Amino acid sequence: MTVPTVTRPAPELSPEPAPRPPGRGRREPLPYVLLIPSLVALAALFVYPVFLLFRMSFQQLGFGELVRRATVYTGFDNYTSLLGDPEFWHVVVRTVAFTAVCVGLTMALGTGIGLLLVRLGRKMTIAVSISLVLAWAIPIVTATTLWQWMFDSTYGVVNFVLGTPGHDWFASGVSTFAVIVIIIVWQAVPFVAFTVQAGVLTIPEEYYEAARMDGASGFRAFRAVTVPILRPILTVLAFLSTIWDFKVFTQVFAVRQGGPDGSTVTLPVYLYNQGIASSQYGLAAAGAVLMVALLAIAMVLYLRHMLRTELDE
Amino acid sequence: MRLVRRAWPNALAVVVILFFAFPAYWMLRTAFLPTLDIQSDPPVVFPTHPTLDHFGTALSRPFFWTYVRNSLLVTLSAVALSTAVALLASVAVARFRFRGRKAYLVLILAVQLAPFEALFIPYFLVFRQFDLLNRLPALVMVYFVSILPFTIWTLRGFVAAVPVELEEAALVDGCTRWQAFRRVVLPLLGPGLVATSIFGFITAWNEYLYAFVFMRDPQHYTLPVWLATFRTAFGDDWGGAMAGSVLFTLPVLIFFLFVQRRMVGGLTAGAVKG
Repeated sequence: MTVPTVTRPAPELSPEPAPRPPGRGRREPLPYVLLIPSLVALAALFVYPVFLLFRMSFQQLGFGELVRRATVYTGFDNYTSLLGDPEFWHVVVRTVAFTAVCVGLTMALGTGIGLLLVRLGRKMTIAVSISLVLAWAIPIVTATTLWQWMFDSTYGVVNFVLGTPGHDWFASGVSTFAVIVIIIVWQAVPFVAFTVQAGVLTIPEEYYEAARMDGASGFRAFRAVTVPILRPILTVLAFLSTIWDFKVFTQVFAVRQGGPDGSTVTLPVYLYNQGIASSQYGLAAAGAVLMVALLAIAMVLYLRHMLRTELDE
Repeated sequence: MRLVRRAWPNALAVVVILFFAFPAYWMLRTAFLPTLDIQSDPPVVFPTHPTLDHFGTALSRPFFWTYVRNSLLVTLSAVALSTAVALLASVAVARFRFRGRKAYLVLILAVQLAPFEALFIPYFLVFRQFDLLNRLPALVMVYFVSILPFTIWTLRGFVAAVPVELEEAALVDGCTRWQAFRRVVLPLLGPGLVATSIFGFITAWNEYLYAFVFMRDPQHYTLPVWLATFRTAFGDDWGGAMAGSVLFTLPVLIFFLFVQRRMVGGLTAGAVKG
């Protein structure tokens, strides 16, 4: 979650030598015993809540029902009322657009900086790396507070630098979103940049020499060697960024709680408003299921990609 | 010639450094700047008379130490739990081939991608039912299960990297399997355990949504929730807010320096193979 929320949990995919079990071939109960604690935890704290979420999405469940412990099934009512609500569609479209902007900027800047890193001298590389690590390591809530301070209308340094004293960046939805996008991209770029850098560094120098012998110019060599090798890395990064940015809550909520006038409400904030703040748990559950369904596209693509590369043994 | 060729990349690099490092610098300078100077126009770029006043106000806020204690308690419990559970699971998937192994790994990967943000409604109701709202164990459970998949997935790589031959040699020398694991494998897993628990620590330490939704009484807040409400509590005390931010960032920054390399290396290793 956290991560994400949260720092972004990087799925760590280490190359894995094929396991060589001590008691090869024998049917052993031991591995199953070792898995029991994790399976129990996942069943109780993940599978069960997912099941509840799904079930709740078919119920009329508000504060009243909760207190009376009443279970009122209403079929697809929550779904139809959500899908028939133009406000919900606004939020969906806004969230998709917001995600696209964040991912696009993160990938473009991250890839660019990653490629820049391998071109710099040693000292410059270290300096850039340190500045990237700073942005990456600063906790999300801190980063949000920090950028709000820099965009403060009265004493903010941004207004001073731009020569726009007193400009209120949080007065309109578009510019509030701009600030939120900057916060997210600022924290997300380092991971992409470092990963691209690491990817380029794994390319053997001989490939470029061979390209040069064949008479390829610098740009041709880049297109023929660097791009194909980077493509799978970029694919993974784009999937992960999409998944992460689509469900961002902290930055959006902490900046202006979805304001001004609800113009920066994204799906997770919408779920919070419906579910916790207005106690319409059933409706919010349906919204959460729809959100997961939207995310599932990116998740399935990512899983397929990962399974092809990781688990083929 | 070389200098000319590097002019453009270097100029770009300076822009990159400014964009990424400047906010952190601005946080530091504001934290050390006397309140009067914070409101000066043009802004003071470097504090000539640095003060520790803001750190004093941050530390003397009611409940501050309670928040530190809450955050530490929740984070360390979640990390300890997930490390213990993940260690068992990672040994199983790294050392044995068994029916269902692949399905288990797919499950772990899928849970890792799952948006926990979408689950706060069922969690909220379950915790409400068991009277756990507003209590720290609720957070421990959520953080535990959200860092567990990552911990299993990462540890499995570390376990697999310990040569089986070492274990076999220990068995030949008369160790039981448990002894072989405890005396031979476990010590070699040290760095892996450190890396994964630091990562789990950072994730849980940072978490805001669940702490915000579940912890209603001010004395049960964790540091991120406190920090987010800090400014409202202070009016517009940016010096105090930035000092609080610095305090909250320090442990993360220190831990981060240890794991940063490992996180990147791991991800590309998986991607490049394709």
